[in-house]
Amino acid sequence: MIGSLETEILRFLSEPSDDKFEPLALTVFEHQRRKNPVYASYCEFLGTPQRIASWKDIPGVPQQAFKHAELRSFPIEQTRAEFRTSGTTGEGYGKHFFQSLRLYETAVQRCWDFFQLPRHNFVALLQHPDDAPFSSLCRMGGFLTDFQRECFFITRNGCLEIDRLKDRLSDREKPLTLFGTALAFLNLMEQAPNLRVELPPGSIAMETGGFKGSGRDVAKRELYDRLCGQFGITTDSLWNEYGMTELSSQFYSYGLNRPHRAPPWMKFLIIDPNTNEEAPSGERGLLRIFDLANLWSVLAIQTQDLAIAQADGGFLLRGRDPGALPRGCSRAMDELLQLVRG
Amino acid sequence: MNSCSLFEVDGQMKLADRIGAVASAAADYPWLGDLTAENILRWIKLELGDLLREGEPPEPPEYGRQHCLAQPLSPILHVVSGNTPHAALQSLIRGIIVGAKNRIKLPQGGLPEVDEFALRLPPALRPELAVQLDPSWARDAEAVVVYGSDETVREFSQRLLPTQRLLAHGHRISFGLIRGSYDQMVVDGAARDVFVFDQLGCLSPQFYYVAGDSEGFASLLAKHLGELCLAGPATRRGYEIAAALRGCREEWKFRAATEPGVVVWESTGTLDWVVIHDPGSAPAANPLHRTIFVKPMPSELESAVAPIRPQISTIGLHPVNLESVRQAIRLGAQRVCRIGQMQNPPLTWHHDGWPTLASLVRYVDIEGMG
Repeated sequence: MIGSLETEILRFLSEPSDDKFEPLALTVFEHQRRKNPVYASYCEFLGTPQRIASWKDIPGVPQQAFKHAELRSFPIEQTRAEFRTSGTTGEGYGKHFFQSLRLYETAVQRCWDFFQLPRHNFVALLQHPDDAPFSSLCRMGGFLTDFQRECFFITRNGCLEIDRLKDRLSDREKPLTLFGTALAFLNLMEQAPNLRVELPPGSIAMETGGFKGSGRDVAKRELYDRLCGQFGITTDSLWNEYGMTELSSQFYSYGLNRPHRAPPWMKFLIIDPNTNEEAPSGERGLLRIFDLANLWSVLAIQTQDLAIAQADGGFLLRGRDPGALPRGCSRAMDELLQLVRG
Repeated sequence: MNSCSLFEVDGQMKLADRIGAVASAAADYPWLGDLTAENILRWIKLELGDLLREGEPPEPPEYGRQHCLAQPLSPILHVVSGNTPHAALQSLIRGIIVGAKNRIKLPQGGLPEVDEFALRLPPALRPELAVQLDPSWARDAEAVVVYGSDETVREFSQRLLPTQRLLAHGHRISFGLIRGSYDQMVVDGAARDVFVFDQLGCLSPQFYYVAGDSEGFASLLAKHLGELCLAGPATRRGYEIAAALRGCREEWKFRAATEPGVVVWESTGTLDWVVIHDPGSAPAANPLHRTIFVKPMPSELESAVAPIRPQISTIGLHPVNLESVRQAIRLGAQRVCRIGQMQNPPLTWHHDGWPTLASLVRYVDIEGMG
């Protein structure tokens, strides 16, 4: 059964069809509810009926749940891979378990195909997956590079290999694909402030991850201006990947103020945080994500990210601005816990 | 108590007139406390001695082997947060009473209550108000009182000279200890302490430790808090706040579904309130706005609250007795009170552990007189 379900999803990833999303999503939901006791308990708690009519009714597990429970939809002894969140919020890290990485790898590859993203001359401002075995992002980089070590420019100890990177960037013959966290790009610009290269036409830079937990923040526009200046590319050649350890697929956008879009095997809802119901069209709300490739854990994840749905089927992220929260003289415990844990 | 005297300041209204003006303006603000002229005088006497003798007789009072005067630090810059107008008005009133000129840097959204209160004062006592800080205000201030996040406090402290007095009211945490059997009055008081000011004050409890049946207490607390919120529902929350509240609720509901001992009671269809029973002993992240955790009393209470010890403000107690007070002091409390009174400090309380008037004056010692 599980093998055939995985095969069915793999087929969908290769030959997506909109009318098959819902039946497949409902099958995955029923499977996960049967095989994943933690998720079953949550559905029971919420009073979710055994049979539901729409993918929109699939209960989304809070993203934070991955920090508190092991959300496996397969027997524990069959665990083949584990990715961990960074643990930057001071409450330990979340864990995402896989029985197999076939779906994960295929989702990464098909996603890049779907968005017609180039994979040539990959320059990953990441650690090699062997050096960061619990990082889903590094594994993703591995899949996109056939795990070639020379494509990775951050050492096991987290140091950027500036000289090797400069050599690589000096090769102006072929377009490059730069891929890394926003923080890695920022570190690169700070460690090599005089680095100026004109990347060949067709090159792109893909940033992801923001500055979470780093204690630093740079507005996206400023980051993009600096990247454009440093690499001689246009804003529209700058891409953002929006993903998370708890998912198996990712959303992508390019340029500034353009929506993130999903591959056909992902859908999303915007949830009004006041009512916990779907927000009216055009309203800001919390992003709830449905990812068919998340067969091994749970298909639906409730994030804490704010977004607005767009008419073209994508969404604009409208993340929380911590400065906008009037915390006053009561100490918000999350800040405190971060402080205590240094 | 000492015997210093607060003397008249040139061009400033006399103390008795200032007291009268404050008492009159505060009469319509019962949540500021019992600010009658009589109570204000008692407060001054307690902190600064015999101030009724302002200027009369002309020589300063004796203080040990010398004489001594208390003079206001002036001007005072008050940097206030947007949470509640309570702290802003308290700070202003203290400045007026000591005889200082007052300037208030308001939060971006303003604080209408402060504007209204200022208009109730005689023109000579009205503070200057601004949302954007004029750099000269910080430069000229003899004392700066800052309310807000630790980041705000840090930012202001870096701008000041060592000769300027900084009174920093950064982040604080308050909580309650229910150490013995309780009745409905205690539960109702616990609910009111959470309810007032939408739980955004530094005296608002963020969690209760309960000896005995903590889940039973949580259930009763939910009932009382629900009733209070029915009478005074919260306004619709902004997106960022609502997102934080929703995130907290859904996370704890997931935990309630999957972890023994975790129970969630919540307002239906709104974000008005939530009570979370958490069997864990460590304080949990709290987005406030009537989000209250109830936890079993830990066997090692001091260890459990050690990580937040520097931030502890008020510990509400039930019952209040020598043993419970001793325990609260050991934990690091700066104020100890009955459950139900956490939001009602007396006029004479030492805000964050300091005397509120005496911190706003300088003492002038005069030797060789008479």
